[in-house]
Amino acid sequence: MSEQERKPGVYICAGCGIGEAVSVDELTAVASGELKMSHCVKHDMLCGEAGVAMIAKDVADGTVNQPVIAACSPRVMTDRFQFEGTSVIRANLREQVAWTQPAGAEDTQMLAADNIRMAVAQAAKTTLPEANIDGDYSRTILVVGGGIAGLSAAREASKTGFPAILVERSDKLGGWSAKWSKRMPHRPPYRGLQENDIGALVAEVEADSNITVMTDTTVTRTEGSPGKFSVTLSHGGSDKVEAIGAIVVATGWRPYDASKLSHLGYGASPDVVTGVEMEALLADGPLARKSDGKAPKTVVFVQCAGSRDPDHLPYCSSVCCGVSIKQALQVVEGDSEAMAYIIYDELRTPGTAEEFYRQAQEAGVIFLKGKVKSVDGDLKVTYNDELLGDEIPMEGLDMVVLATGMVPNSTNPDTEPAEKGAEQLLNDIDPISPFTVAGYKGDGEAEPETETAEEAPVTAAGDDAEAETEAPFPGGPILNLQYRQGPHIPILADGFSDSHYICFPYETRRTGIYTCGPVRRPMDMAETAEDAAGAVLKAVQALQGASDGASVHPRVGDLSFPKFGLDICTKCRRCTVECPFGAIDEDENDFPILNPSRCRRCGTCMGACPVRTISFDNYNVAMISDMIKAVDVPDEFSEKPRILVFACENDAYPALDMAGINRRQMSAYVRIVPVRCLGSVTLLWVSTALECGYDGIMLMGCKSGDDYQCHFVKGSGIAKERLSKVGETLKSLMLEEERVVMEEVAIADSKRVPELINNFSDRITEIGFNPFKGF
Amino acid sequence: MTAAAPIPDTTRKYDLGFARWVYQNVDGGDKLSMCMQCGACSGSCPIGVQMDHGPRKLFMMIRAGMKDAVLKSNTMYNCTSCYRCVVRCPRGVPVTYILQDLGRVAARLGYAEATATDNARFAKAFYWSTRTFGRTDERLFTFKYYLSFGIVAAIKKAIANMPLALSLLKRKRMHIGAPHKIKGTSDLRAILDKAAEIEKTRQGI
Repeated sequence: MSEQERKPGVYICAGCGIGEAVSVDELTAVASGELKMSHCVKHDMLCGEAGVAMIAKDVADGTVNQPVIAACSPRVMTDRFQFEGTSVIRANLREQVAWTQPAGAEDTQMLAADNIRMAVAQAAKTTLPEANIDGDYSRTILVVGGGIAGLSAAREASKTGFPAILVERSDKLGGWSAKWSKRMPHRPPYRGLQENDIGALVAEVEADSNITVMTDTTVTRTEGSPGKFSVTLSHGGSDKVEAIGAIVVATGWRPYDASKLSHLGYGASPDVVTGVEMEALLADGPLARKSDGKAPKTVVFVQCAGSRDPDHLPYCSSVCCGVSIKQALQVVEGDSEAMAYIIYDELRTPGTAEEFYRQAQEAGVIFLKGKVKSVDGDLKVTYNDELLGDEIPMEGLDMVVLATGMVPNSTNPDTEPAEKGAEQLLNDIDPISPFTVAGYKGDGEAEPETETAEEAPVTAAGDDAEAETEAPFPGGPILNLQYRQGPHIPILADGFSDSHYICFPYETRRTGIYTCGPVRRPMDMAETAEDAAGAVLKAVQALQGASDGASVHPRVGDLSFPKFGLDICTKCRRCTVECPFGAIDEDENDFPILNPSRCRRCGTCMGACPVRTISFDNYNVAMISDMIKAVDVPDEFSEKPRILVFACENDAYPALDMAGINRRQMSAYVRIVPVRCLGSVTLLWVSTALECGYDGIMLMGCKSGDDYQCHFVKGSGIAKERLSKVGETLKSLMLEEERVVMEEVAIADSKRVPELINNFSDRITEIGFNPFKGF
Repeated sequence: MTAAAPIPDTTRKYDLGFARWVYQNVDGGDKLSMCMQCGACSGSCPIGVQMDHGPRKLFMMIRAGMKDAVLKSNTMYNCTSCYRCVVRCPRGVPVTYILQDLGRVAARLGYAEATATDNARFAKAFYWSTRTFGRTDERLFTFKYYLSFGIVAAIKKAIANMPLALSLLKRKRMHIGAPHKIKGTSDLRAILDKAAEIEKTRQGI
């Protein structure tokens, strides 16, 4: 859309209290007079049939092709204010003006007028994005891993109507699940041991003509982007290249190395076994212990064996409690004279598993709360009973089962680490807190026996981080991605694949590649099967989005994409390094080259670019700069400071809206600019704002770090990093550092957000006005 | 209670089989397995402070196989059968029955604590009076209890209690003369003897 074609029209709504709070006539005067908008209409209820019809008519007859709607928040009524072939610009007069400011006040009117000025400025720099589509897109879903996660994923993909290729590195399907003798109850009434029905699932997948099963196969190379992945599958030395739309990684887990648990007697006696080994014994018919083949009469299960232990796995594997209960039930049901004891620290039986726990109690399984101190070679278990406050020796046992935890297969432990890229995996999000793969700290030697869980000092987080950085990264990449940012799928804490397990599960930091099952977090078979369905749906969205040229989560449907002005590009590589999703590679001349379907449109590249040559059709540096400049900043004699807030549109902006919905008053001196992510905030905007005379600037975004809430994973962390450098600049300009702050807010912070703004406003009033005001 | 399972040997301090034995042989023991150690029983017990261990802890000790400590505890003889614990237990454990039966087991196994504590002496005197007269005679039953401490101690205790006895007499809560009896004390004795006989065969100890 070139300059000549722009036909903006301003529509000002007076409904929902806007008309009572501000003078709409004055706003109309601002738009048609000062802003020279030839088409400016006020209406009592724009979202009503008449209002929408009016705009639609203007659009249809060509009067307007950029409706600027000054009404409610851009987050609401999006379906009403949607007109074919136009980019709709919204000015928020309701949530952030009428509902947060006193009606009729001079400051309220100024705020409303500024919001319209900003929206008109935004319209002048917005063009309607056109989808970046190029050729054909594959609809095949590649599933890596043939356990219950992979089998379920392949089945779900096929049932949803997408062809699937299921790749398994071993010679048969089923994974760990195929080795279990019985299943924990996963169907109503959630009692009793249930038959392991994995065989039926394997048969169903093998019989499905829409699924290609490839055993003894590994992925050796993955190139391209969603819809256009080119994946090399290696089977017995021969390679085959497949065109793939999206990838589901279901590589699962492996048991924690029990040889490191010598303090729990592993290795001292053949009758000290792990939970996985116990499954094998139970699957072999009537239970017989390893040493002499006798049926054990007393079996002790040691929970959290090497789990929730800073020296081993620091996390809870969540399934071991249920598994031990299942095995204990198998012991007592298999032999009426047998006794099973479960020594637990905390018994974690969420949801319906509580019923299973009760059933085991009824069956006479004895639960003892405490921490096991030692297990001897002659099977003497000593534990500190927490409910008795006493050390209890248990003698005359026949078997000890160590409930060891799950280690995620986020790499392939059988292959060599990648030569390039592994170090990026370690330091990708936050250089201060690198991630490790659990259980791979140090040189892998067994722990000295004296160091029990209780006595071991809890190492400070800082020490941990140092120790972890030195540890070599084990195993090779699973997909061997040919990305600028290395061959791995990034991991977060403890070696689990990076995916926000509450807000956006399955989402990895490689668009079009989704993880499910225990590679994401520890989970049992039933949870895994459900998880696989979720990941497949994400994969379907990704390949649909790719073929439509549209973005996936969280900017679903956005057609814009970053455009690079290569004429002034300095090949600094900041965009390729900082892109959270590895969407930008470098071409042979070191210029950035975009893989459009990998891009999530966060704008982190735009914020990174030192020469500001990256822009989106509907979001660019000039647009926000113009919005900042459009605000009418009063001189210092008016005693009215101006505070600029860059609010992340994912969490901070909705929280501000929510504050309005709850009618929380906040300072009338703030001017809020929504940004896609704090990662897209370039420091130019900060200096522009200071030059324009704003007295304070606040960046409001999501939490960063290991427990990040940033919808683009790294954006807010990167913004924090960039902002840490802005203090120096401010000082060199003889400005106070406190004038620019960053706050981490969550979507639920609607009460805190106005407090933050008001406190900052007070602080700015204390510091005094920006000396550059009026220049 | 099912058939006779011999209680495991009495000399061991910790006995892993004890919990299972209690589950299978003590009155209400099958429900004991459902205990989830919430402590509502101990918290509700009006005389919990007088017990060595509250019911919750005692049950955990059973699970931990601390047979010796359990059977030596005075918890069972302090229970007044108010049934507050039973009413409040969220898992339906009949705490009172279990304690009563455990006390009986301890007495049968000859634990000194089970026969020599104040409560055990008192219970025995109570049983004597009931068996002899079919009801309690305050004077004789109290003196019988005092006698278990020896004749000198008994006289001292009796003299110390004189003022109480006199005021009871004054208010006609106690009488002078022959003890009151129910009709058919011999029938009652026959019933009690039969009950003891049945119990012996059932306990198997």
